[in-house]
Amino acid sequence: MKKIISTVLGILFAFTLNASVANAASEVRVAYFLEWPSPNLEDMNKKAYSKALGVPVKWTNFTNGVAMTDAMLAGDIDISYSQGLMPYINAVKAKAPISLVDVAMEYGMGGTTCVTSNKSGITKANASELEGKKVAVPLGTMAEYVFTESMKIVGADRKKMDVIAMDPEEGAAALVSGDVVMACLFGGNSIKSATSVGKRLLTVDEARAGGIMGIDIVSVTNKFMKENPGMVKSFVELTHEANERYRNGKSDLKAMSKESEMKVADMKDTLSGFKFLTPKETKKSMKRGNLSKFLKGFDTPRGTVTTKFLP
Amino acid sequence: MITAFLTFLFFFAIIGCILYGRKLIRTEKIDAVFGNPERAKGGVHWVIVGSSFLLLVWLYYSWDIAKSFFPRSANELCQVGKVNESLLSLKYLFPIKERQLKSTSVIKTETENLNKILLEIDKTDKVNSQDKVKLINFINKTKNSIPLLTNENLLNNETKSKIGIITDKINNLTDKFTRSDYPNESPEEEIKRIDAAKKEGNWSSSSTSIENTIEIPSIPKTKRGLKFQAAAVELNAISDEFFELRNHNEQYSSLLENLKKEIKDFRSQFDSAEDITSSFAKDILKIARRIEYASIFPPNTLKDMQGSIENFDKAQKKEQGGLRWVDILLFPSGTIISSGPSCSEQGSGRWLPKPSDTVNKFALMLNPKVGFKQIPLIWYEMMDVSKIVGFILPDWIADILPGEYPVHNEKGEVKPNFKSKVLSFVTGDFKLFKIPIPTGHIWDSFLRVFLGLVAGIIVGVPLGLFMGLNRFAKGFFDPLIELYRPVPPLAWAPLVISVLGIDNLGKVFLLFMVSLSIMIISARAGASGTQLSKIHAAHSLGASRWQILRHVIFPNSLPEILTGIRVATGMCWGTLVAAEFLAGTTGVGFVENVAKKYFQYEVIWITIFIMGMLGLIFDITIRKIIDKTIPWRGKG
Repeated sequence: MKKIISTVLGILFAFTLNASVANAASEVRVAYFLEWPSPNLEDMNKKAYSKALGVPVKWTNFTNGVAMTDAMLAGDIDISYSQGLMPYINAVKAKAPISLVDVAMEYGMGGTTCVTSNKSGITKANASELEGKKVAVPLGTMAEYVFTESMKIVGADRKKMDVIAMDPEEGAAALVSGDVVMACLFGGNSIKSATSVGKRLLTVDEARAGGIMGIDIVSVTNKFMKENPGMVKSFVELTHEANERYRNGKSDLKAMSKESEMKVADMKDTLSGFKFLTPKETKKSMKRGNLSKFLKGFDTPRGTVTTKFLP
Repeated sequence: MITAFLTFLFFFAIIGCILYGRKLIRTEKIDAVFGNPERAKGGVHWVIVGSSFLLLVWLYYSWDIAKSFFPRSANELCQVGKVNESLLSLKYLFPIKERQLKSTSVIKTETENLNKILLEIDKTDKVNSQDKVKLINFINKTKNSIPLLTNENLLNNETKSKIGIITDKINNLTDKFTRSDYPNESPEEEIKRIDAAKKEGNWSSSSTSIENTIEIPSIPKTKRGLKFQAAAVELNAISDEFFELRNHNEQYSSLLENLKKEIKDFRSQFDSAEDITSSFAKDILKIARRIEYASIFPPNTLKDMQGSIENFDKAQKKEQGGLRWVDILLFPSGTIISSGPSCSEQGSGRWLPKPSDTVNKFALMLNPKVGFKQIPLIWYEMMDVSKIVGFILPDWIADILPGEYPVHNEKGEVKPNFKSKVLSFVTGDFKLFKIPIPTGHIWDSFLRVFLGLVAGIIVGVPLGLFMGLNRFAKGFFDPLIELYRPVPPLAWAPLVISVLGIDNLGKVFLLFMVSLSIMIISARAGASGTQLSKIHAAHSLGASRWQILRHVIFPNSLPEILTGIRVATGMCWGTLVAAEFLAGTTGVGFVENVAKKYFQYEVIWITIFIMGMLGLIFDITIRKIIDKTIPWRGKG
């Protein structure tokens, strides 16, 4: 009996003791998306980040921004590149210790959109027919935001719809098989397979006119930010260098397409909907532009955005 | 209040039952030796110990004990967290949190990086020797810039005095901090603060909505908390000031300026920025700039400052007093930390919700008006019996009747004829009486499992018996069954869902596949396990084939079949949740999947409990059925 008690106490004690010695980062772990091209993929391909940060940089691909937050909370990821703003907002609302340090890109509905199937015959004009039908939406992501906003524009009540939680790849498959009449999705390949049997509910221009715009951001864990401010700065700087190179038309598209696992033509198509901001524009967006309006619109707790790492 | 009472109750239950158990062992020693099965019988007191221990661990690691005994501790720890947060970036610079001074480790890694580039340049044959000399010159210049930063004699007087000022500020703060009247709050401010704190509420998750808004109030409620918050504000200013500070003396600045210009000139002679020589130069420049950005100081310059930070750290720890012990003892594996605008639980308290919060949230979700995503957990709705009629009767009955469906007339009216009346009857489009039927997430999950199981039994049991009795059937079906049986059911999920769709059909079919193989195997084992003597006895009494099957073989295999059902039930639950993860609009798995996306840990745990409970109910029911219907089990 004594042994049992001492074992139990020992285990409790071991649980309570939390290893608290921090080690300087010997490796930086970055999360990113496939099928979501950005100029800095070229630097990733050429291992330029490792050189710029002075330590090895490990890139891990994710399927949605929610999973990125999960991994950051579990301590497996230090920096999330191009996390959607929606997952970020949900995370900081749930008091996750992460911060926004940069805007990865702004995009119109080119990159994230809702597609209705041709079979259903539903278009913008008769969108209220969506009520009572099944729609696939990756909940908690930017696509959910696009879905909500699009429904407001076309005048359909999302509460009356059967919203099914599905990742973009599955949503596209469900649209093809006719299980859902509309799928909201992101990612070039998913949109391509969805538009093969359907049409975009709102064209890119209509969406832009309706004020729907997506913003992807760069978020870091607070711990990493406090520990290695230099690395965060280097990361942001190199990313902006890559964006600059892309704006000047000097990017190596082959390297980018290889890392994003897309064909060059498809990638160009997706990239055409993206806007990579200059450092100046980024600062403006974060302080009083699109990003700050977006955050305010969703009652995001203040003080999680910092511009001090921008070049 | 209730939590505190329960904590004591569990604690004393454990002690009482352990004492009782020991007493029982002593009295038993005489007649029951080790190995006697009598010794494993009974033992309700150990059940109490087991479950109390489990609940106590839950209460402890979810920090519910801390919440009920020290409801204000989270708020105070939040203020302490603010101080720690503002100290953190300063601490990382010194060997307080790290093993080395930040300057030391930066110099170490950057020297290594420079050597690495040097080696690469040396090896490559794509750079001509002229450029190589230039590149090596850049590297040496970068290397030479480091001693300029670490030389005490070169340190600017201005920088020196600034460091002194910052150190004084920290020392000053330490002095003020230990005084009891710090931070001199005026009575009006105090009233304002207490009002605001009251508005913010207490430490708990929301019990009026599924979403949690404020879990830990961040406005200090106590004097002690206020002290820490005030110190955190001052420390933030100090650390910002320090981070603006760089040890850039004239020599260093001019060297760096020079280097930057040289590299720029050097790179401008290449057409493309991607040229290998040019990119080498770029990499060297990157390192030089990293050194520029890092706060590198001479080795002993920051000694005083380090001392002052350590002193403050000691003072703030002392000032925490009893709170420190609450933190260590009642906040196991984690604590409250502050990050940006809010405080949060980090550690087990984050992902293990408090029992009190979980119960509150469960009660909230059980309310059919709230539910989850507008669908109740489990409730009833009134459904017309006509729907059932419409479901059973096939619609084509109306189509094959002679005549045509009515067409509207000139007045725009539609007059129903016999054919259209039949159609509305077979499609259930009429009114009868209404009956209540269950609905909601739990019911949907339950129904899917039940249907999959029943379908598996209906197909699997006869097939299994047939395979156990017939050579053809055994040979014909065996390869098919044996091939698909060992595949984990989840491996089928993506395929089944894309073939049969995301509706109930796909999910039920998946569960059918799970239960079918188990039922076939168990029915077959039961059939082939029948004792030959019993069959012979029945045969000699003149039983027909059907009678032998019905009265000998089937009852004999029933125990195996029912055990199979129990196993299949467990497997079905496991598969169902994963299938609902993939695509769903209702069901317990769907609830969990969505809750995960919004970090609603209480909801996640509620779904886990629901699934545990449902599995248990299923299992107990089947066990009872077995006991009732086949008393011969284990006796044949």
